[in-house]
Amino acid sequence: MNNKNLILNIENLVVHYETENGTVKAVNGIDLKLNKKRAIGLVGETGAGKTTTALAMLRLVPDPPGVIKSGVIELDGENILEKSIKELEKIRGKDISMIFQDPMTALNPVFTVGEQIAESIILHEKVSTAEANTRAKEMLEMVGIPGHRAKDYPHQFSGGMKQRVVIAIALACHTKLLIADEPTTALDVTIQAQVLELMNKLKEEYQTSLIMITHDLGIVAEVCDEVAVMYAGRIIEQGTLRDVFNKTKHPYTEGLFNSLPNVNNRKAKLQPIPGLMPDPTDLPVGCSFSPRCPYANDNCRENKPIPRWISDTHMVECSAYDDPTFHIARGEK
Amino acid sequence: MEKTNIVPETVLTASKLYKKRSQLADIWHNFKKNKGAVLGLIILGIIAVMAIVSGFVLDYDTQIVRQVVRERLQGPSLKHFFGTDQYGRDIFLRILYGARYSLTIGIVAVMVSLAIGGVFGIIAGYFGGVIENAIMRTCDIFSSIPSILLAICISTAFGASIFILMISVGVVSVPAFARVARASVMTVRDQEYIEAAYASGASRLRIMFSHILPNSLAPIMVQVTMRVGSAIITASSLSFLGLGIPAPAPEWGSMLAEGRSFIRDYSYMTMFPGLAIVITVLSINLIGDGLRDALDPKLKR
Amino acid sequence: MYKYIISRLLLLIPIMLAVSFIVFFIVDLAPGDVVDILAGTEMSEADIARIREELGLNDPLLTRYFRYMAGLVRGDLGISFVTNRDVFEVYMLRLPATLQLATSGTVVALLIAIPLGINAAVHQNTWRDSGSMVVGLLGLSIPTFWLGLLMIIIFSLKLGWFPSIGNDTPLSIILPAITVGSGQAALTMRTTRSSMLEVIRQDYLRTARAKGVSEKVVIRKHAFKNALIPILTVIGTQFGVALGGAVMTETVFAWPGVGRLIIDSINNRDTQMVTGAIIMTTMLSSVVILLIDIAYAFVDPRIKARYSK
Repeated sequence: MNNKNLILNIENLVVHYETENGTVKAVNGIDLKLNKKRAIGLVGETGAGKTTTALAMLRLVPDPPGVIKSGVIELDGENILEKSIKELEKIRGKDISMIFQDPMTALNPVFTVGEQIAESIILHEKVSTAEANTRAKEMLEMVGIPGHRAKDYPHQFSGGMKQRVVIAIALACHTKLLIADEPTTALDVTIQAQVLELMNKLKEEYQTSLIMITHDLGIVAEVCDEVAVMYAGRIIEQGTLRDVFNKTKHPYTEGLFNSLPNVNNRKAKLQPIPGLMPDPTDLPVGCSFSPRCPYANDNCRENKPIPRWISDTHMVECSAYDDPTFHIARGEK
Repeated sequence: MEKTNIVPETVLTASKLYKKRSQLADIWHNFKKNKGAVLGLIILGIIAVMAIVSGFVLDYDTQIVRQVVRERLQGPSLKHFFGTDQYGRDIFLRILYGARYSLTIGIVAVMVSLAIGGVFGIIAGYFGGVIENAIMRTCDIFSSIPSILLAICISTAFGASIFILMISVGVVSVPAFARVARASVMTVRDQEYIEAAYASGASRLRIMFSHILPNSLAPIMVQVTMRVGSAIITASSLSFLGLGIPAPAPEWGSMLAEGRSFIRDYSYMTMFPGLAIVITVLSINLIGDGLRDALDPKLKR
Repeated sequence: MYKYIISRLLLLIPIMLAVSFIVFFIVDLAPGDVVDILAGTEMSEADIARIREELGLNDPLLTRYFRYMAGLVRGDLGISFVTNRDVFEVYMLRLPATLQLATSGTVVALLIAIPLGINAAVHQNTWRDSGSMVVGLLGLSIPTFWLGLLMIIIFSLKLGWFPSIGNDTPLSIILPAITVGSGQAALTMRTTRSSMLEVIRQDYLRTARAKGVSEKVVIRKHAFKNALIPILTVIGTQFGVALGGAVMTETVFAWPGVGRLIIDSINNRDTQMVTGAIIMTTMLSSVVILLIDIAYAFVDPRIKARYSK
């Protein structure tokens, strides 16, 4: 991978939350690379460490109790973890933006939406207030909201429209990398589709790179070029859409696909993954997934798996592949 | 970087950071963690013991009230820890005895508020509609009279005695209790286990007393502790104004009123009774704070 | 918007009526009446009865009440039987001093409480926070009148910096204002703190940070404006408390306001004055609360919207 082309380079990121009742090991050494103008889906269940990873990229991990124990996060070549607060404030909202899950609480109720969009513009670009307000209106139009509503307050908008405003704020300064943390989870399915379509369009328009955090594989298929699957703070499988969807390698990923109800075969039984995610304060000794894995052997349970590159683009972290004849049920199509 | 001590919700739900304990033990455990609250409990305990014991050990007529002109206006000494007042009475002993008045008035007044306000609040919350409206409007009206003026009003009308003092201080807190009781009832009323109780045939009265009441207890308890402190202050304020317990009773407020005439040269007369009030009320407030934090850990996090 | 203000004003009327009735009723319950004081020992029973009749004191309670209220509306609260002066006039004469005290006390309270409260919330669970909480709790435990006495002992008698009695010099207001203000500061500080704590955990602050807004601005602009709403309520109620609590401070400092007027009148058995003064003070307090309610609507656009549609 060409370094100049990398918008994001994360190496061995470790983030813990140190509370009085124990240390929560949220992120346990992940490596992530994303090329410019590409979109990657970060998939996993609740508690896998996706949000923490995203917050770490903006250095917004609540501190205390969160601590970035080690790692490198390079945004377009610059190491975020070495920046001062002032430098960070310049970067946030301009080079890297994040939108969050719940649009209902993401906007400040006592300021108009126009003001909230304009604030971002004024912070990062040398323009007059009037100019910023005009551009704010333009951004609203871009996300499909009439510009004259800039003077309205958040409570006057529906959930879907609020999320559009949130997107408008995030993209107001033509950010290079947008992190979207489950942006459609709190919305109705129909609105969901609209918002995703909007994000796709803007992604093209602004040539923004995207990290889409979600637990929904369907969304990944629609919006992303690449996928990274997280479990218990590690990325256990990563690759292009084709790699992960069609040539699935990790048992957990297989489990995720199997959990989806099969529309074509209504009689088939649902196949959830048995068991629960491990307690991040008390992770298993070997592979974190081994207690729930149908293929696990003693080696898996005793030793931590190491990343294995199957192709230039496809990585899987599973000790079962020490045996070259091993394959999972979901096999290649 | 944010300086908030909040673990993201998703991280919390994934881990099992909370140990299981019985509810009461849980409350006590949380309470104990608050050093201030424990300190308050200890101090209040000492004061209560002093109040009770002084009734038995001290003789009212000879030690509290009798004037000994020879010994008047002496500063603090080994013989008289806090000195003597203008009648030669030992201030330390008077303060000890005065604890009886303050604690009794505080507790009784709040009991009165609780009884009246609580009942009205529960009725308002439970029945709703016109009844609720009428009760709450009346509460609003009483609340809009500044509390000390209301207490002064009542005390003036009915004369200065310990009994009237307890009533007037109590009446002042009635709206607050009514509101808390009503809010509690309304929260609990809509919970599903009440519906379940109805479904299994319990009568309305029974539901009110055996289900709604116990679960509304927590915020009421907090109010009680908060109000005892302010009741003591209101009572001593009224006594200071001459509208409370008549002389020569050693009520802390009236002791301060007496000491005022001698403030220039004998300031100790105003220091000690005041300190007594502050320490007593402070310990009660510490307990109240600790109780509130222990009962609703979400507030402290 | 105006509909809201008007409707609140209208609501004020029944409240005032009820409040004044309660005060009137309670004071009326006091044993004895003015005639007993005026009469002395020379008058005969018949004369006393006649004077009572003339003054309308034998009429039923409600009649007397309405007569009183009719007068109130005209600004006539009657003549004090003890001092022979017009009650309304005397009250208005003394009111400015109390307003001055209540206002300066509120200003002192805000200057202390808001920075401390914000500080405590932002640094939650550090010594800054616990320290402020203890100080706040202490403030709630100190009776206002004793604080006043303490101030007099330290700053007036021992140090001689400020006068302790009366309203003669510009410096006279300092000690009384600090006394009143400190009492209010305690509650205001705690409310500021809990209100800020509520706001601090809100998601929209995270959005602001993600935009690159500096922490200082996040707290001052984004958080505080939201926290202001409950703080406003406290300020309003505190002003009402200050008006009532002025009674104690004015007594201690011999401040010539309506609080002392009430106490002196009570001691003089001047029921007319007492009734009038308490009713007037209560009405004032209600008006302040109304003004705060209106201010609410300007600070919180959700409320503004609710009442403009």
